[in-house]
Amino acid sequence: MTHTKTTILAALLSATALSGAYAADPIKIGVVTPLSGTYAGIGQQVKWGLELATKEVNAAGGIMGRQIELSYEDSEANPSVAVQKAEKLFEVGKVDFLTGTVNSGATLAVGQVAERANKLLATTVSFADSITGDKCSPNVFRVNAKAGQQSTALAAWLAKAHPKAKVFYLGPDYLMGRSTVAAFQEAAAKVGATNLGEVFAPLDSKDYSQYFGQIRAAQPQVLYTSVAGNDTVRLFTQMQEFGLLKNLTVLGASGTVTSQNIGAIGKAAEGFTTGVGYSAEIDTPANKTFVAAFKAATKAEPDLYGTDSYGLIYAYKAAVEKAKSTETDKVRTALRGLTWSTPQGDKTIRAGDHQAMQIMYVVQVTDGKFKIIGQVNGEEAIGPNTCTRH
Amino acid sequence: MSATLEYFQYVLAPQMLIGLVLGVAVILVALGLTIIFGLLDVINMSHGEFYALGAFIALALGSIGLPFWLLLILVPLVMLPVGYIVERGLIQRVFHTGDRHVTTLLLTFGLGLVLEDTFRLVFGPNPYKPETPIGGGVDVFGIFIPSYRLFLIVIGAVIIAAVAFVVYRTRLGAMVRAAAYDRHMAASLGVPVQHVYAGAFAFGVALAGLAGVLLAPIYTVFPTMGRDFILMAFTVVIVGGMGSIAGVVVAGLLLTQIQAIVSLYISPVWSDPIVFGIMVAMLMVRPQGLFNRLGHG
Repeated sequence: MTHTKTTILAALLSATALSGAYAADPIKIGVVTPLSGTYAGIGQQVKWGLELATKEVNAAGGIMGRQIELSYEDSEANPSVAVQKAEKLFEVGKVDFLTGTVNSGATLAVGQVAERANKLLATTVSFADSITGDKCSPNVFRVNAKAGQQSTALAAWLAKAHPKAKVFYLGPDYLMGRSTVAAFQEAAAKVGATNLGEVFAPLDSKDYSQYFGQIRAAQPQVLYTSVAGNDTVRLFTQMQEFGLLKNLTVLGASGTVTSQNIGAIGKAAEGFTTGVGYSAEIDTPANKTFVAAFKAATKAEPDLYGTDSYGLIYAYKAAVEKAKSTETDKVRTALRGLTWSTPQGDKTIRAGDHQAMQIMYVVQVTDGKFKIIGQVNGEEAIGPNTCTRH
Repeated sequence: MSATLEYFQYVLAPQMLIGLVLGVAVILVALGLTIIFGLLDVINMSHGEFYALGAFIALALGSIGLPFWLLLILVPLVMLPVGYIVERGLIQRVFHTGDRHVTTLLLTFGLGLVLEDTFRLVFGPNPYKPETPIGGGVDVFGIFIPSYRLFLIVIGAVIIAAVAFVVYRTRLGAMVRAAAYDRHMAASLGVPVQHVYAGAFAFGVALAGLAGVLLAPIYTVFPTMGRDFILMAFTVVIVGGMGSIAGVVVAGLLLTQIQAIVSLYISPVWSDPIVFGIMVAMLMVRPQGLFNRLGHG
């Protein structure tokens, strides 16, 4: 009798061991993200967001009983390095899905690698409209808000706060700077704002005071800028020094004032307004739970990159469970039109261009911190579908 | 006629005044560079990082509560021994090789990289903005200028005059010029050449540090700030005549005025290429620059 019992026990044990081995066969998600270099701070948030969601999903039983495994490669914020690392993850790492690309050039380049490998890529960071616009790919998804969504939200707020505003534009003189200024000029024109002129300053300009004469002469009510990093510190503090911030509303791109430079800008940042896809201030139970969990895990506050990366894992989980497979074609079909919940509310992936629709927020610097002062519906902010390849 | 006057008052004059501030800033950085080059025949590639070091020391001392006015004196004093040690401990080691220009250039370039990474390790990559010591602004003939920028022009002029006085009118300056002209002859006449060299290097480095303290409230403090003025400062030294103090002042004012005025008419992106174009043209036509070397002519 005892003998039989032992046999049964042994059989049961081996069975669980076997099924254990099967269940432990993980779903591999590759992450090509900058872990060093200029964008290392963004890569860090991406990593934190993905890891927190992965931990939660795995603790709750994984995706269809399979655990998620993340494999990292450092893209060094360089598109050509990102391409090599993506190829390595697809061919050697045998990953089922890829994410993490930060700069838009890297996302576009890695998207082509994904197409050749017949795998899917989702970016949680890149802003360039072209990724889900004229350079869209059937293998590329974007779960974060693109530049166009940010500027539409900001323009909608401008129309209410300053109807028929007279706007002057100052951008950094390179592709990103010129395209953000052009995007906001277009969005502002639609809501009846007047364009008083534009000036493009070289990247890393020391002294912006040489443009102040032009700005003064134009007498704008609103200044839109898309400078970033230390350029913002210099522009804003020098404008304050010259008394230019009086009676002027300053708007900008979402990367203009960040946690990295807001301290150095100090009082000159007060009143700065921008459109974003996420703010840790969002007052919903889902976001509060998320922020608390994020802070507990990382000792840092989540930004939009961390939050959108966190949300991606849940989008992928929902899609794989809907498709009952990790096969590229089935997951792609499942992702198209998928609605899932994230800390910033429900998001829906538009089937036509693979761009996530979401509520957009307008935030303003008050007492040194961003406060939400308005929001715009997802349908209103996303704009027309210009993708012709799906 | 009144349109021309108005254009001058509201467009051209403010632009020239802003250019003057930038000119003084560039001259302050270039002064130390030209003294070091004129005397030691060393192209100090780490000069920009010494400028940054001055700003960071001011930042650190300012954060423990020392007032800005004290820092203006204290930081150059701290920089003096730093410069002295760098000259005696590092530069002298490669100074007497046949390829002095190459070895000292590589040495100071490497030193600059080490300093820049040290700033990053100690202070982090994010920028700091020291409080502007003098707030507000004044009207100069109807042109608005922030008070601190006006102060910068005045103190810049004082520093330039003081440096010129020390180099051209004092016994110390005479020793420096003598050593620059012929170090062997100077040594045989009892000039302590070794100390004059190290002292002049320290003086140049202290000037860079002083520029760092003065310019930090306008241009912010961050690890790579040393690269900001260095290309322009080198251009000014080359156009003005390597080692010439008058040359630095004339070329510094001239080039920054050209930049300021040109950027009114064409895209500001072109203001750097234009200045470097002038430098190349100068090297082709008159390689010795506008003025003669320190201690010569």
